[in-house]
Amino acid sequence: MKLFRQLILRPFRGDLTRSLLTLISIALGVAVVIAIELAGDAATGSFESSLTTLLGKVDYEVTANGGVDETYIAALAALPLNARFAPAIEQPVVIVGGGSTTVYGIDVIAAGMNETGEFSTDKLETSAVLSSDLAARLEAKKGDSITLRGPHRTQTFAVQSIAEGQDTGWVGIDIAAAQDLLDMHGKLDRIEVFLGTGEDPGRAGEAIKKIVPRTYDVETPGARSEQNRRMLRAFRWNLRILSYISLLVGAFLIYNTIAVSVVRRRTEIGILRAIGTSSRGVLLMFLGEASMLGVLGSVLGIGLGRLLAAAILGMISDTVNALFTTSAPGAVELSAGTVVIAICTGTGVAFFSALIPAREAARVAPAEAMRRESREHETRLRVGRDLTLAVAAALAAVVLCQFGPIGGRPVLGYVATLCAVVATALVSPAFVTGVIGALRGTLKKVAGAAGLIAGRSLVTSLARTSIVVTALATAISMMVAVGIMVGSFRETVQVWLESQLRADIYLRAAGPASAGIYPPMDAAVPGIIRATPGVGDVDVFHAFQFHYKGTQATFGAGIMDIVRRRRSMRFLSGDSNEILASLPGQDRAIVSEPFANKHHVRAGQILRIPLGAREVALTVAGIYYDYANDKGFVLTDRGTLLRYLPDQPVTNIAVYLRPGAGAREAEQVRRDLETRLAEFPLNIAPNEVLRRGAIQVFDRTFAVTYALEGVAIIVATLGAANALLALVLDRRREIGLIRYLGAAKGQVRNMILTEAALLGLLAGLLGLALGTALSLVLIYVVNKQSFGWTIQFHPPALLLGGALLLVWAFTVLAGVYPARFAAKLEPAEVVHTE
Amino acid sequence: MFPQQNPQEKPIRVAVRRAVKTYEGGVEALRGVTLDFAAGTVTALVGRSGCGKTTLLNLCGAMDFPTSGEVLVAGRRTSELGDRELTALRREEIGFVFQFFQLLPSLTALENVELPLLLSGARKSEAIARERLRWVELEGKAEALPFQLSGGQMQRVAIARALVHDPKILVADEPTGNLDTASGDAVLKLIRRAADEFGAAVVMATHSAEAAAIADIRVRMRDGQIESVER
Repeated sequence: MKLFRQLILRPFRGDLTRSLLTLISIALGVAVVIAIELAGDAATGSFESSLTTLLGKVDYEVTANGGVDETYIAALAALPLNARFAPAIEQPVVIVGGGSTTVYGIDVIAAGMNETGEFSTDKLETSAVLSSDLAARLEAKKGDSITLRGPHRTQTFAVQSIAEGQDTGWVGIDIAAAQDLLDMHGKLDRIEVFLGTGEDPGRAGEAIKKIVPRTYDVETPGARSEQNRRMLRAFRWNLRILSYISLLVGAFLIYNTIAVSVVRRRTEIGILRAIGTSSRGVLLMFLGEASMLGVLGSVLGIGLGRLLAAAILGMISDTVNALFTTSAPGAVELSAGTVVIAICTGTGVAFFSALIPAREAARVAPAEAMRRESREHETRLRVGRDLTLAVAAALAAVVLCQFGPIGGRPVLGYVATLCAVVATALVSPAFVTGVIGALRGTLKKVAGAAGLIAGRSLVTSLARTSIVVTALATAISMMVAVGIMVGSFRETVQVWLESQLRADIYLRAAGPASAGIYPPMDAAVPGIIRATPGVGDVDVFHAFQFHYKGTQATFGAGIMDIVRRRRSMRFLSGDSNEILASLPGQDRAIVSEPFANKHHVRAGQILRIPLGAREVALTVAGIYYDYANDKGFVLTDRGTLLRYLPDQPVTNIAVYLRPGAGAREAEQVRRDLETRLAEFPLNIAPNEVLRRGAIQVFDRTFAVTYALEGVAIIVATLGAANALLALVLDRRREIGLIRYLGAAKGQVRNMILTEAALLGLLAGLLGLALGTALSLVLIYVVNKQSFGWTIQFHPPALLLGGALLLVWAFTVLAGVYPARFAAKLEPAEVVHTE
Repeated sequence: MFPQQNPQEKPIRVAVRRAVKTYEGGVEALRGVTLDFAAGTVTALVGRSGCGKTTLLNLCGAMDFPTSGEVLVAGRRTSELGDRELTALRREEIGFVFQFFQLLPSLTALENVELPLLLSGARKSEAIARERLRWVELEGKAEALPFQLSGGQMQRVAIARALVHDPKILVADEPTGNLDTASGDAVLKLIRRAADEFGAAVVMATHSAEAAAIADIRVRMRDGQIESVER
């Protein structure tokens, strides 16, 4: 312990700047991992219906695509079971003057809420209970009134009570009132089953299944949450993997810090060994140093991660809502488990990163003082072997990319990514030597002595240089890879939107704009639109979320004849015109690429989809490119859907003007529609607003990704500063000597800055190469396997060039402090001391 | 004592006047030293370790200032010069040779020799450096890295580097201290020639009798003072 204090803690304090830089690097790495985990949990944690939870533990939920027929309640109640069956409606609704929320329709009397005073028995149909957060938002209190707007009815309710401790925003009303408001007479969203004491859940489940149609789902509520979590798994895994990149960059830097520690204390190690310290003792001492950095960094990182999580929660939550499912963000909660995992991860990464240099230290024979030169020499000797291993790692990456997902996750794609990073680390020494060798003449010509020495000293310190270059290159590669992937994706989506959004005006019922939520609109709306002057075609669309083989997807139906004439849908194969023309009047459907990939569907195959009480066999006419969400779509002609679900409400309308109409006419028609449809709660948006909105959602979705990249770059830049400082400290004598030979302070500064610039250049080039390779893995393996869509390769060259220049400038800036430090060294002192 | 060291009226390159140097902690390294170093003259500073030789060399090389007294290098009072002027002075007027050669390990022999010229931005630096390497008879080792050279060869490269810019003063700290006799002799011959052919004022700290033997003047130091001067 005393030795540890003298040889580790004292130098740690003595070299405080470098120690702190390392500490911050680990802390940032851990912080990012923690933040992504905590924010991910908070953003996806609350799927359970809050009101249902309030009413008691639901044992089963009976659901059906297109809604549940309420007559089954009576049939189920007749079962010889000790159970209560409660009807439930859960729909989006507009609050007049207060945005939108979720309305729950429940059987108040059966739930006994009239007895607890939450509902007034005599005014059952006009009473409401508000969640505490919604009440706070609306500044509503008990006794106030709230007006809800359904597709074609508006109703005012008196607030009878406020449910405390709620955070998902809802209003509860009586089931009959909900059916009236939402025009859902005879229909329910689900039947909730509460089993009495002693009732066997297995037996009850079986009995219920015998009563309801085969196409109905009888599941535990947990199964629904599990479906949502499964759906979000790919999204969370991709974020998680990105967050680990920062930690990986941190690992390279720990390796470097400990390696520098070992080299700088070579004399002490030699002496310690000579006076009897075992090699195991030396090993433990350096591993102790790394672990100490790991623990301190992790503790700092946990605090920082907690703050970061709160900052990015909104971004992640927006993405979840826009692309996956409705989920109100919960509170960011730091559990004891997360703290333990964070400390173990941070310390573990630090410990394992330090293993190689610590073992080097332990191998120092008592008689010799280890010299950096020997380590550098070994690195140079290993260049050939490392190159061979790099080729092997790269080949392994290519092979791994050829396999499919494991458990729905692109596990082998992730491993391929790691292989590519390993290949880069191995190729780094040869790359540094090669590039500097090629630049030898140019450096001397352009930057004189500073250029000559800077280039050479990077090669002389090859082991250290290549580690820093690898760390920085890894961070840059992540930026490049994600940049190319997002840029390609954005371009692909833009082209897709171009072909998809061809109508002039779009309408949807007002309500929450989340994935999987399709508020219904009044059946009279399409007729009013058709009668509006200037309107050409009106594509009426019905969409609803449905269950298919344990996952959720969207079932949609439109007027395929209009789609064929007006839109230009792109299919993976086959003629778009022919495919779309084959849909009307037939039990045929087209499916989106993500749906096809997820369920291994091919054109010509028959899909058996439960619609209401029937199972419908739909032949897949084609698979179309789609980027709306990764849950996938099954589309039929409107006539086909209405044959099976005649009451299915209209959810969206696309209005095409008469041919030849310009922007002015479009604006006129839009205003006209707003006037004619004023009584209906609708959102009416012209084409460009919708398109702009879609791209905004897209950009918001990737905001977290950019934030993660930023942190990795900061970690790597700190690492560059740390490494340059180490290089300066290690070359004090050399710097002093150059001053003896007539170098001005400015020249020494320039020399270090040139080294920083070269490090940045080397890392930039290597990062660009690795990043491009990783982007291919992301686009063609990880994204394809996670979300099921094909992204066209469109690297955003200008943006990437700018970003690379910026990172390069950061690296040069990272050299400012070490450069100033070097310039201040006293030549006479360092030359004679060393 | 003010010794007359310049009977042939050679120009004085370095003049040390009543120089006192006290380090932090009160250690007095020099205690009132007065000495002139003339062009074309080799002066050997001899004495035990800690007698003040290296401190005096640092003053002569404009690497340090006296606590009191004055040092004139190439006619300029060092204590009055700023960092930029001192750097220029070292770059143009002084060459250094060290006991442990102090070559930059990452540069070739030729590049090591060329370095002072590159630092001063001189033209045709490579040709001049090559010429100096030829002068120390190492033109065949121009592309060799320091670790590929013997100790004697490294010190000859160091001498070529010290003389590449035709300095008026050559400061040598134990130039043979790390060499075998044959290599040491070769190095000493070069140092002698530096004074004779380049007209440099050579200030050399040494423990070696052979080194002292080539000097025109031998200054014996003790406890920071000049004990004797022998011509």
